[in-house]
This record gives sequence, structure tokens and C-alpha cells, in this order.
Amino acid sequence: MNPQVVNAAEQVDQAFAVIFGISVLMLVGIVGCMLWFAWRYQRKRHPKAADIHGNTLLEILWFVLPTIIVLGMFYFGWTSYQALRSVPADAMTVQVTGRMWSWAFEYPNGRRAAELVVPVGRAVKLDMTSTDVIHSFYVPAFRIKTDTVPGMQTYAWFRPEEEGEYDILCAEYCGLKHANMLSVVRVVDHDTFEQWYRGETDMAGSHGPDPVAVLENQGCTGCHSLDGSEMVGPTLKDIWMRETAVVLPDGRTNTVNADEPYLRRAILEPGTEVVQGYDDIMPPYEGMVSDEELRVMLHWMKGAAAPAPPPGRQIAENEGCLSCHSTDGTIIAGPSFQNLAGSRILVLDNGAEKEIVADDAYLRESIVQPEVLLRKDYDPMMPAYDYLAPNDLDALVEYIRTLGEAP
Amino acid sequence: MTQQVASFLEPPTEAGWLRRVRGWIFSTDHKRIGLLYFYCIAAMFAVGVVLGLLIRLELIAPGETIMGAQTYNAVFTLHGVVMIFMVVIPSIPAAFGNIFLPIQIGAEDVAFPRLNLFSWWLYMAGAALAVVSLFTGSGPPDTGWTFYVPFSSVTTTNVDLAVVAVFILGFSSILTGLNFIITIHRLRADGMTWGRLPLFVWSLYATAWIQLLATPVLGITALLILAERMLGMGLFDPARGGDPILYQHLFWIYSHPAVYIMILPAMGVISDILPVFCRKHIFGYTAIAVSSIGIALAGSLVWAHHMFTSGMSDTAVLVFSLLTFIVAIPSAVKVFNWVATMYKGSISLEPPLWYAMAFIVLFSIGGLTGLVLGSAGTDIHVHDTYFVVAHFHYVIFGGTGFGMFAALHYWLPKVYGRMYNKFWAVVACFILFAGFHLLYFPMFLLGMDGMPRRYYDYLPQYTDMHELSTVGSWILAVGLVIMTANLISGMRLGRRVGNNPWGGASLEWTIPSPPPTHNFLEEPVVEHGPYDYAGIEPEEPSMRVPHQAAPTRGGQA
Repeated sequence: MNPQVVNAAEQVDQAFAVIFGISVLMLVGIVGCMLWFAWRYQRKRHPKAADIHGNTLLEILWFVLPTIIVLGMFYFGWTSYQALRSVPADAMTVQVTGRMWSWAFEYPNGRRAAELVVPVGRAVKLDMTSTDVIHSFYVPAFRIKTDTVPGMQTYAWFRPEEEGEYDILCAEYCGLKHANMLSVVRVVDHDTFEQWYRGETDMAGSHGPDPVAVLENQGCTGCHSLDGSEMVGPTLKDIWMRETAVVLPDGRTNTVNADEPYLRRAILEPGTEVVQGYDDIMPPYEGMVSDEELRVMLHWMKGAAAPAPPPGRQIAENEGCLSCHSTDGTIIAGPSFQNLAGSRILVLDNGAEKEIVADDAYLRESIVQPEVLLRKDYDPMMPAYDYLAPNDLDALVEYIRTLGEAP
Repeated sequence: MTQQVASFLEPPTEAGWLRRVRGWIFSTDHKRIGLLYFYCIAAMFAVGVVLGLLIRLELIAPGETIMGAQTYNAVFTLHGVVMIFMVVIPSIPAAFGNIFLPIQIGAEDVAFPRLNLFSWWLYMAGAALAVVSLFTGSGPPDTGWTFYVPFSSVTTTNVDLAVVAVFILGFSSILTGLNFIITIHRLRADGMTWGRLPLFVWSLYATAWIQLLATPVLGITALLILAERMLGMGLFDPARGGDPILYQHLFWIYSHPAVYIMILPAMGVISDILPVFCRKHIFGYTAIAVSSIGIALAGSLVWAHHMFTSGMSDTAVLVFSLLTFIVAIPSAVKVFNWVATMYKGSISLEPPLWYAMAFIVLFSIGGLTGLVLGSAGTDIHVHDTYFVVAHFHYVIFGGTGFGMFAALHYWLPKVYGRMYNKFWAVVACFILFAGFHLLYFPMFLLGMDGMPRRYYDYLPQYTDMHELSTVGSWILAVGLVIMTANLISGMRLGRRVGNNPWGGASLEWTIPSPPPTHNFLEEPVVEHGPYDYAGIEPEEPSMRVPHQAAPTRGGQA
């Protein structure tokens, strides 16, 4: 049978029909005989049992007959399996990636989606893999199921014959939210597909990237709720600048405010700072999200209602201040900005130790000429920021003051 | 028949509480060890049933019903581990095999009684560790009983201890198998030729070889999981050149033959029970005995039919699909011979026969639906769905479980010397049978509709069948309670029975009930086959005849 003429799914259904048909006949035969004998040969009707030990001819018969039957079943099973494995040459290829606990689909032109959108009548080949554990891509309507295995490419194909939505399920147990690793195959007409494929529409029909759609497409919402409810990962509701305890890879804990650099790190390299109380199971998205998608996500997280960050904050982020100076009291490479302004500090002035008050003048000087007064107990490693525009410098000092002033 | 002999159940006279306990847990008497196994297995079965009922209750409606996803994942893992490793695998061989194998071949004990006791202790150690794994570490294991990598190597739950428990339980199984093989080869009584072995012994013989040869692979696999988790070996990690599919091969090389470890002894029980209640020689003795060996051989070569969707090569799918169909043939031969045994028999519908007939129906459905799973194209659709769950429970619960129930109703009078209430035994059988179908048959339909297994939550289109199935689980539970209560009251308070209540022709029916400590009062000489009923009549009054009307036989004091 040519799989391009008879759909593979139909061949599978024929194999089902053959096997079920024969099985029902055999079951009725076995149970029917058993019940009939149990009734007919009860002791009251048949007080003396016949002395029969066996019958060689019968033994041969019911060895040979089942052999023929099962070999026939094997044939139907095997040919339908071959149909499932023989991809037509004109098939469109979509790369499927399974990950805890969502599906990602990538089209030949680079378009990525969380739902499998395909044109009706067109054969689709799915090249599959997984980023973490084994999942299994299952579409009952098309009778296809193939494991997605990390480090390995597997495949399946189908040809949708009617428009509609068909469930995609994960069939290989993959942990906590295995049952929610769902998606749909959206079979649409040719023109609708082409429009979608070119990126002109998403399936809701609107234009431009919708941040919630991006979060869903990337699988974020599989673990992070948008409404504050507790899921596998922390909720994304009001995440902006949320005070968060994180665990570093060496087991130390740290408290951060969820600012843009942190959120960016948390998406691209989640393993480096894991939110306390959650397992380190999120896959790194480095290389998995486009810059635009990342921008849209972060923009959404900042949220319309989130308080506008002070302008100095932006400067502190852009200039990399925050990679050495925390805003929450923890010591990274330099002293924290928290409660720095106005505090009494020990500095080295040409090797001589003295105590000063970190007033605006000191803060300004320490940014522009950090080598003049070195903070005691810190390595002299900070570059001079003498190129900052005066109002940027003011904004930065102002920002530091907002992080707490010593009495 | 009238000799006064101390039965193996009786404690030494004037023994204190401690000595009585020690007289059991350190006894090398195969019957006591068998009963110890039986009590533990029954207790673990109760645990497994409760877990199963909880699973069904959670699934009565979509979404969270009584437990969260993490709890659910732990519960189905435990249900699998407890039922498979602690109940079904040891069930018939370790309990009834230990008690009746030596008696049926005319031996005083197994070949290595102390090794036998050690096996039981290993079983206890494994079971204890498995229980400990629930309450230590960071949460009970949530991997499913299959422990598939890479998930099992990355999950933070307490997989390590559970895997050690499986490793230890495996050794218990290996040593029991070894003991049985040597016992059957070396300790047969005079006149007990291979052709006169009861078919239960043949089935244990085939089982023992699988236990001996396949279980070490489970041990190796368990150690490899530990190596992966504790030493980070990367054997199954593709990022470091490992292969997750390799794990699946190793796991199923044991775990598929294990299915035959589970079902073969039950087939042996049925082969022994049917002829007794038909008063007729088993039909095709040689065919049944040879098919047990055939199943053991062919069943060891079909493991990768669990992996048709795994991404292994199409050639492997071809080979394993074909071999899987081959293993169906000896199973079919057995079923045909059982039914043929009933032809022109003189059948008395006693409780063991009802359970045996339930076995034949349930096992046939389980076996026939297995053909759908062996066939490559259809397996792709139903693999890892509720179809598999249904198939497996029809074979293992409907097969081994009902085989165990049949064995209980058949041999309990021999072990305790007392008879249960037969009416309630048959009532329980009917309730169990009805509840069973209501519980598991909807799962076939769910699977055909594409409901994957191990789902804590499900899409709304699956709700109706899940509801039916949960209601079925309650009916089944009622049946289990009735059966258990009836058996317990029977073994404690039942009417005393003589040596041969059912009129069996194998050796266990020639000795007192309960058997004396050394089984035989004098060394037996076997002069006829186990199914030659000429001159043997059941002492037990038939269910259809009022008790008073039956001739009273000398039960012993």
C-alpha cells in the first residue's frame, strides 16, 4: 500500500479493525465454550467424567491456527507502522522541541510558536528532540506518537485532512506537570496558513507580538502563572523589582530586587540564581529566545502599573554598576549601595586610614575618581567613570540616596 | 489420616511469646516461610489497593480532586513499585510455591532451607527500605515504577533509596528461583518423574529460570541509576555521550520477562485447579508443560515491544513485533487446553473453579488486547495510554491476582485445615468480577481515545469513562473486603476439613491438613500422575448438597 494514497492513520485503523475483529471472535469462542461446558457437564447432568488425556491432532491444530492468525496480525501491524514511518517527499518540516512542560515548534523560516499551525491537506514532517528529559509527542487524531529524546532526533509525520483543532499530549511521564504538557494542532486553510507563516497574523488575528502570547509560546506560562497563583515556578505577576531570595550555585543565598539584569539572567541562565524554595529545573533560554521576544517579555514584566524606576537606576544598569554593587545590602565585589549615602565609612587616603561620612561630594568623587579614596577591605578594581555627563552623575547619586540614607 | 501429628502451625509446647515469634521469623520450614511471605504480600497488597483507590478517586473529575500533582505522581509511583516488586512478583511463587512446591514433589523441604529464610529476610529488608524511602530525603520518589532516565537521574526526590530497595528485592527473587530449580531437579520423591510433576511445579520451574537469568539485569540497571545519580557517570546522558534509550533496553530486558514471572505461576495454579473440579485429567499435559517453557524462552526475547515509540531503529521494531506475536502462541495453547479440560468433565462449581473461570475470561481479554500492543502500527497509537493500563491490569490483576485468589480458595483449607464459607466466596467472586470490568474496561476506551497514562489532570472529553472507572474501583473494593473477611473467618473459625476436601490427586492432598512439620509421615512413593482421579473422591460436600446430608469424614483434632 502506498502511504501517499492511503493515509497512514487509515491504515492503522484497518489494523485495529482486523485485530479487534479476530480477538472478539476468539474471546466469544473461548468464553462461550467454557460457559457451555460448565453448564452442560455439571456433575448433576454428567456424573461421570470422560477419560480424555489429550488429542495430538487438536494440539497441532491449535498451535498452527494461532500461528497463522498472529502472523497475519503482525503483517497488518507492520505495514501500518511502515506507513507511519514513510514520509512523503513533499512534506513541510517543522522542528519540535519538548521541554518541561511545553512544546515549541520552529518553522523553516524561523517562525516559532507554541501551537502547531499547519495547512490542511499538506503532509507535515516533525523533526523532534528534547532539551531536558524524555517526552512523547502524541496526537491521537493522527495516530502518531514519538518520544522526544534529549541528544537525539526522532521524527513523525501526518497529513491533516480536515480543518480543526487536534489535541497534542505528552505521553511519556516527565515529572510534575506532565499532565499539563498540552498543545494543539491547528489545521487551517492554505491562505490563512500562509499569512500566519509570514508573521502577519497570530492565530488571534491581531498584529505585532503580543507579550502574553510570547510568554505562552516560549512555554513560560507552563510553570509561571500570570495571575499570582502558585505553580512550579514563581508567579510573573508583579515580578518587577520584587524582593527575591535566591540560591547561588555554591549554595549561598542572596537577596535581590528583580530588576532588568536579574530578570534577563533568570531567563537566559536560570541556574545561576535560583529563587529560594524552587527546584533548579528551568531550562536555560540562551539562544532559545530572540532579542525582540526577550525585550517584549521584560517590557511586560515591568508592567504598566509598575513604578517608573528612577532615572539613575537606568544608568546604574547600563554602566554595569550593579554587577559589583548590590542594591540590597549584599556584598558582591564592591560595597552595597543600600544605606550607603550618609553612612560613616573607613577609607584609605594614600595609605592612611581615616573615617569619613559618605556625603554627596564623596559619592560623586568615588565614581569619577575612585582611586583617590579607596574603601578599606575592598580591592582597588573599579574603573574611573570620568566620562559621565554631569546630570547623569547627579541622577546616579540621587539613585544611591533613594536606596537608604544612614541617619 | 487419623494419626495425631503436630502441624507446622503449632508452636512448641509451653513456648513464650518471644520464642513463638522467633519460631516463625527464624524458621527454615518452607511452609512457615511461605506463610510469612503470604502475610507480608497480603499487607503490601492492602497498601497497593489503597493507593490504587486514591488514584481512582483523584481521577474521578478533571483537575485537583483530593491531592496535588506532586502527591499524585508519588502515589502512582508507589502503587507501581509496591504492587510489582512487593506483591505480584513474589505473590504466587514465594507464598504458594514455597508452601506447596516441596510437598507436590514429595520433598521434606526446599534444597537450601537457610537460603530460603535469607531470601525472606532480603524481601523484608527491601520492603522496609522502600517504606523508609517515602519518609526520608526530599520526598517520595515520583518517577513511576519504570525509573526512566533522564528524569530519574535529575529528580530531587528520594529515588536512591527506592532503587536500593528494588536491588535488594531482586536478590530475594534470584535466590528463590535458584532454590526452586535445584529443589525440582534434586529432591523429587521416588516415582516422581518429570512427566508426573504437577503443572504448577512446571510453571514454577519455568518461572525460576527467568528469575535466575533476568533479575540480575535489574540489579545492574538499579546500580547504574545510582551511579548516574551519585557519581554523575553520564551513562544515560547524551550531553556526555550517554544514551537514554540504553536504559530502556536494560530496564525491559528484566521487566518484560518479569511479567512472565508474574503470570506463569498463576497459569500453573489454574492448570492444577481445573482438572480437580472437572474430575478429569488435564487436557494436553505435555503441551501445557512445554508451553510454560516456551513462554519463558520467547518471553525473554520480546522486551523492546515497550519501546516502539522510543526512537529505536525500525528494524528493531520489526524484529520485536514479530517475536511478540510468537509469544502469544504458547499462551493461546494453554487457554485452549484449559477449556478442553472442561469438555465432558463432571464439573462441580466450587469457589476455586469460579475464580479459575474468572481468570480464564480476564486473562483472555488481557492477552488478546496484548496483540494490539504487539502490532507495531497500532501500538504507536495506544502506547503509554490507558489502553496499556487496562491491558496490564487485565493480565496482572485479572490473571495473577485472580490466580492468587483461586489458589487461596483452593489451598487455604490445606494450609489451615479449615473451610471458609463457600457461598460468600462465590458472591465475592461475582462482585470482584463485575467491579473489575467496570474499573478497567473503560480504560480501554479511554486509551483508544488517546488518554495518556500517568496524568494527574485530563481533558474534559475523558471525564465520563474516568467516572465509571472510579465507581468500578469501589465495587471491586467491596468484593475484596468480602473475600478477605470470609477467608480470615474461614481460616480461624471454619469447619475443619480432612486431608483431601476437593479430591485432588497430587501429593499435598495425601497428607494431613494442616501439613505436619516434616510434610510426610513416611517417605512418599509416587505411583500415579497428578491428574489421575481414579479411586479418589472429594471429602468435601458439594456446595449444592446440604452439609448434614453429606457423609462426615474424619477431620483431625
